[in-house]
Amino acid sequence: MNNDSPKKALLVVFLVALFCSVLVSVASILLKPIQQRNQLIERSKNVISLTGLAKDSAALSNDAILAAIKLLDIRVINIDSGEFASDLNAAEFDSRAVVNDPELSIAIPAELDIASLSRRSRYEIIYLVWDGNTLSRVILPIVGTGMWSTIRGYIALQNDLNTIAAVSFYEQTETAGLGDQIERPDWQAQWQGRKLFDSQGRLRFRVGPGTIAPNSPASSYQVDSLSGATVTSDAVTRIVAYWFGANGYKRFLDQLDAHPAVKAAAADATGGSTS
Amino acid sequence: MSAREAILDPLFNKNPVLLQILGICSALAITNSVLTSLIMSMAVTAVLAFTNVCISLIRNHLPNSVRIIVQMTIIASGVIVVDELLQAFAPDVARTLSVFVSLIVTNCIILGRAEAYAAQHNVRMSLLDGIGNGLGYSLVLIVVGSIREILGSGTWLGFTIMPVVYEGGWYIPNQMMLLAPSAFFIIGLIIWLLRSWKTGQVEEREFKEINLAKAGRQL
Repeated sequence: MNNDSPKKALLVVFLVALFCSVLVSVASILLKPIQQRNQLIERSKNVISLTGLAKDSAALSNDAILAAIKLLDIRVINIDSGEFASDLNAAEFDSRAVVNDPELSIAIPAELDIASLSRRSRYEIIYLVWDGNTLSRVILPIVGTGMWSTIRGYIALQNDLNTIAAVSFYEQTETAGLGDQIERPDWQAQWQGRKLFDSQGRLRFRVGPGTIAPNSPASSYQVDSLSGATVTSDAVTRIVAYWFGANGYKRFLDQLDAHPAVKAAAADATGGSTS
Repeated sequence: MSAREAILDPLFNKNPVLLQILGICSALAITNSVLTSLIMSMAVTAVLAFTNVCISLIRNHLPNSVRIIVQMTIIASGVIVVDELLQAFAPDVARTLSVFVSLIVTNCIILGRAEAYAAQHNVRMSLLDGIGNGLGYSLVLIVVGSIREILGSGTWLGFTIMPVVYEGGWYIPNQMMLLAPSAFFIIGLIIWLLRSWKTGQVEEREFKEINLAKAGRQL
C-alpha cells in the first residue's frame, strides 16, 4: 500500500496511538501505588519532624516514617465551624483533591483572600501530639501563593495554641538562591518560640525586615525576612495571617482552647512557673 | 557510519548542545545541581533511545503527511512513561525537576534525531545514535551542573567541596550560579573552548564587515 494514501495514514496513526495509549496506561496503573506511597512518606516526614518526638527525623527510614505517622492522632476538622469532622476519614481525605469540589470547598471572597488561594477546602487534616493525657502540640497545614507559585507548609503550635514550636515549608518554587531559602533550617529555626497573637488576641506575627532587638515587644512576633526575597517574605506573612485569622483556624483554635486536655496543660504550665 | 562513530561523534565532534545548539532550554533550567543534571541526562537519554528505536521500526510505513505528529505522539508517550518512573523511584528529584521532565517533549534534540536519523536508518544504528546523542547532552549537563553546584552551593553531588558561610565555613556562594542565566555564560564559554580546539566547528560568517575607510572613499 502506498505510504501516503489516506487509508495507510489512518491505519498507521491508529496503530501508533493504540500502542502509545496502552504503554502510558500500563505505566500509570503499575506505578500508581508506589507514587502514592512516596507522597504519603513525603507529607509524613514533614509532620514527624514537627512533632518534636523524633530526635533526628531526617535519619528515619521510610518504613519508620510510615509506622510513626500511624501513631499520631490525625483528625479532620471543619475549618469554618472549628469542629472535628468525625464523618470524614482522615486516612483518605485529601484537602488538595477536593479544592474544586463545590460540596467540600468554598470560594474565598477577593477582599478576604490575602493568601491568594481563590478556593480552599472546607476541611483540613490536622495532627494532635499527645503527652499522656495532655496535648503537647498541634500541627496545622498552611498554604498560599508566593512569588511564583504555591507555598505549602506546616506550623506546629505549643499547647498554649499561640507559641510556634516549629515550622516547615515542604513545597515551594520561589526564586532559587533567594526566596527558596524559606526551606533553610536555620531560618525556620527562628520561628521557634515566636508568638502568633498578643494578649488581646490580635494576630501580630509577621516576617519583617531589619534586625529585631531581642527584648523589644516586636521580637516575640517577628521573624527576620529573607534579604532579596521581599515578595516571598510578605507572602509568608500573608499566608500566616490568613490561616490564623477569622477565616482560617481561629475558630478551631478557640474551641480547642476550651478542651479539657488543653486546659489541663495550661494549668500545668502556669502552676509550674509560679511554684 | 560505524557503531563507534554513532556513539562517540555526538560527544565532541557533533555535540547536540554545543554544535547544533539544541536542548539549550533544559540545559539552562535544571543544571543548578549535579544530581538534577544526572537524572535529567538519564531521562533524556532513555527517551532518545526509545523514540529512535520506535521511529526506526516504523520508518518504512511512516506517511509523509502526518510524519511529525506520529513522531511527536511516540516522543510524548516516552516522556510520560519516564515521568511516571521518576515519580515512583526518584520522587525527590522528580519534585526538583517539576515540569522540566514533561518538557522533554519539546527538547529539540529528540525530534531532531528522529527526523534526521531514525527515520532513515536501521534499528540498531538508531538506538546507538540515540544513546550517543543522549550522552553528548549528558556530558554538557553534567559539566555545567558541576560548575554551577560547586560555585553556587560549595558542594558537588551533595558532598561539601567548599564549606559555605551559612554553615560556618568560609565560602560565600555565588548566588548567580543558582540562577538560569549563569548556564548561558558557562555554555558559551564551553562552546568557545571547544571551537578553539576543534576549529572545524567554527561557522562561516553570514556577513562581512565592510572596510569603512574604503567604503567612504567610494561614496
